[in-house]
Amino acid sequence: MVRKQKGNRKKRPIAVTVIASAIVVLFIVRLYQVFKPLFDMGVFQLGMIGPLYDSGGLTEMGRALLDSVFYFILAIGLVIVLIGFLRMRRWSWVVLMSWVGFSMVVGLVDYFYFEQPNYAIMASDVVIAFALSQAEVQRIFGIRMDIGESLL
Amino acid sequence: MSPSSDRPTVPLGTSDMDLLRKFEPVVRFTKGEQFYPTDVERYVAECSLWAHYPDGREEIIVRQGELTLENLVQQRPAVFGTVRFLRFIETLTLSEAAQALSDQSRLRRRLRNYFQAGMGRLARGGFLPRLADALFSLSFLLRGKVSSATAAAAELAYHRMHDDDEKYVYYGRVIRQNGWTVLQYWYFYCYNSWRSGFHGVNDHESDWEMTCLYLFEEEGQLVPEWAAYASHDFHGEDLRRRWDDVDELDFMEGHPVIYAGAGSHASYFRPGEYQAEVTLPLPGWFSGLMRAWNKFWTEILDQPAGNPFRIPFVDYARGNGSRVGHGQSHAWSPVLVDESTPWVSQYRGLWGLFARDPISGENAPAGPMYNRDGSPRGSWYDPLGFAGLDKVPPPPQALGYLQKNCDEITARQNELENLIPMKAGDLQVLGIKLKGMEGNPHLAKQYAALEKKINALAEEVKNLRRERLENGALLQGLNQRLERMKAGVQDDPRAHIRHLAEPVRAARVRFDRAAETWAAISLSLMLFAVAGLIFFAPNFIWAGLVIIMILFVLAESILRGAFIETMARITLILALISALILFIHFWEYIVVGGLVAMGVFLMLQRLRELTG
Repeated sequence: MVRKQKGNRKKRPIAVTVIASAIVVLFIVRLYQVFKPLFDMGVFQLGMIGPLYDSGGLTEMGRALLDSVFYFILAIGLVIVLIGFLRMRRWSWVVLMSWVGFSMVVGLVDYFYFEQPNYAIMASDVVIAFALSQAEVQRIFGIRMDIGESLL
Repeated sequence: MSPSSDRPTVPLGTSDMDLLRKFEPVVRFTKGEQFYPTDVERYVAECSLWAHYPDGREEIIVRQGELTLENLVQQRPAVFGTVRFLRFIETLTLSEAAQALSDQSRLRRRLRNYFQAGMGRLARGGFLPRLADALFSLSFLLRGKVSSATAAAAELAYHRMHDDDEKYVYYGRVIRQNGWTVLQYWYFYCYNSWRSGFHGVNDHESDWEMTCLYLFEEEGQLVPEWAAYASHDFHGEDLRRRWDDVDELDFMEGHPVIYAGAGSHASYFRPGEYQAEVTLPLPGWFSGLMRAWNKFWTEILDQPAGNPFRIPFVDYARGNGSRVGHGQSHAWSPVLVDESTPWVSQYRGLWGLFARDPISGENAPAGPMYNRDGSPRGSWYDPLGFAGLDKVPPPPQALGYLQKNCDEITARQNELENLIPMKAGDLQVLGIKLKGMEGNPHLAKQYAALEKKINALAEEVKNLRRERLENGALLQGLNQRLERMKAGVQDDPRAHIRHLAEPVRAARVRFDRAAETWAAISLSLMLFAVAGLIFFAPNFIWAGLVIIMILFVLAESILRGAFIETMARITLILALISALILFIHFWEYIVVGGLVAMGVFLMLQRLRELTG
C-alpha cells in the first residue's frame, strides 16, 4: 500500500493559523451575541412569553429573537468561511476580506458616531485584515499572482 | 556578406541636402490632426514679437504684419529675466472668440476631418485618477492657459496659410561627430492642440519636434544604423531603434516611418494609442507625505505600489490620417539649416505665446537650438548623447576598438607574467633578510624599515596577481565578443532599451460600454450623492463621504475587473485606522502584552540553547 506523502500537501503558513484563530474568536463573540438577547429576555428560564409582534411592529421579544437569528446566521457563515479557509480556497479569502472590510466600516461608524464599538470584533478584524494582506497568504490563495492595475 | 548589405546606402561625399532627402522620414498622422509641419517664414509673418519683463509688464516690440525672420533676430538689449516671445494669435474679444469657435466647427465639417477618441482616456484610468484629473482641470484656473478660442483661431490661421500655399516643411541638419553622420530633421508646427483637440495634457502656440538618423561609413558608403525619435517620458537609449529592427521600425520604400501623436506631434515608432501619465502638481509637503506613505505601503506592508495622483492621458498615434513624405500624397519641402542660419542661432525667445504657466506645459517652446530659458538644447549640440550613442562607436570602428582593447590587455598580461615572478622573488629575498635580522636588538631600526618595505612589496605583488586574474576574465569576455563580431553575429537590437514605449492594449476594461458610461457620469453622480448626504444626513457627513467614496471606487473596480485588489487595499487602509484606534485606547495593554510576548520568546530561545 502506498502511503500518501505529507510533502505533497500545501504547507499552511502561520498567518493562516492566526486568521483561523481570529475567526474562532469572532465565532465565539457572535455565538455570545446569539444567546445574549434571548438570555436578557429570560427565554432560557421562562420560555417564550408574549407575542413577537403587535400592531406597531416587532415587540421587544420579537426584536431579541430577530437579533439572535441574525447573529446565528453570521456565526454559521463564519463556520463555512473557516472551513473554506482551512482548505485554502480562493473564494474564502475574498469573502473573508470583504467581510472584515464591511465589519470595520460598521465598527468605525460605531466608534465615531455612537461611541460604543465592539473592540473585540475590531481587534479580530484588524488581525485578520493584516494577516490576509501578507504576500505569502495571498499567493497561497491565488490572489497575488502578478502586480495588478492600480485603481487607488 | 556585410550585415548592412540589405540597407539603403549613399556614397560618401553626397551633399547634405541629398543625404537628408535619401532618408527623409514619412510622417503618418492621426485622422483629425489639425496642424502639419510648416515653414517658419509664413508663421513669423503672422506673429507679433513681445517681451515679458520680470516685473510682470508685457510690451509689444514688433507688430503683426511687420515681423520678418530678418528683424526677428535683431539684437535688443533687455534686463535679466526678460522673456521674448512670439504671439501667433492676438488677444480675442468675446465676439471674436465666438466667431473663431463657430468658424472652426464649419472648417472641420468642410474638411470632414473628425477625430474619434474611441475608448476614452477617462475609462482607461481609475476613479481616483479621474478625480485627480478634475483637480488638474481646475488647476488651469490658477495656471496660465491657452484658451480654446485661441486654439480655434490658430487652426483657422494655419488653414488660411495652408490654402494659400500647401507646403510641408522639415528643417534638416547634418552633423558629423565621432565617426557618425547624424541627420537631424526638425518639424515646426504652428500649434500644439493636444489638450483642446485630443483630451491631452497641454496646448501651446508653436511646436518643434525632432527625429535623428545615425549613419556610419563602410566601404565608401554611408549606411543607416539607428533612428531616434523624440517622445514624451523617454530619454537617451530608450529613444533609438536599430535599422534592422523591423518589429519596431516601419519603412515605406526605404524611408523610416514616424507615427505622430495627434495634437502633441510626439513621434512614435509603432502605430497605436500611447498612455502617458502626468503627476498632478502637488505642494512639496504633500508630495513628501505621499512618498513616506508609499514607502510604508510598499516596504512595510509589502503591498503593490500605486499613485492616485497620476492622471492617464492618451497620445493617439494611429497613423490613419494624412501622410507626408516620399511617395505619399504630400511631399516634403526640405530646408537646410545649421548654426549659421540666423533665426536658428540668434533668436533665443519662445516661438509662441508665453502663457506664464509655472509648470511650462502651456508656454510655447523655444527654437531648435535652445531651451525655454535660452540655454542651449542638448539634442542640438550633442545629438549622439540625445540617443545615448555617445558611448557607442560606429560598427566598423567597434571591431577595431575592441581589438585594440584586447591587444592592450594581452600586452599587459604578458608584462605581468614576467613582473609577478620577479617581484615575488624579490619579496622572498627580502623576507629571508628580515628573518636574519631577528634576535639582534641593535638592528631594530633597520628591521622596522625593511618590514615596511616588505609589506609594501607584498601588497604590490598581491595587487598584480589580482590584476592578472581580473584581466584574464575581462580578456575572455572581450575575446568572446570579438569572435561574435567577426562572425557577423549582431546584438539583440533592443538590448539597449530599458523602457520600451508600447501602445496600450485595446481591451483593458470589461463591459466597455458600461465602463465608458460610468467614466462619463461617475464624477457627477458622486457630487449628487454628496449633495444628497449634506441635505438628508448632515450629521453623518464625514462617514458618509468616506462610504460614498468607497462605494464608487468598488463599483469602478467591478467594471475594470479589479474588485479583489481594490477591496483588499480599502480593507487594509480601514485596518490601519482601526489599529490606530485600538492602540490609542489600549496602548498600555498592547505594550505590556508585547513585552511579555518578547520575554517569553527570549526565555524559550535561551532554554532551548540550554537543553541543547
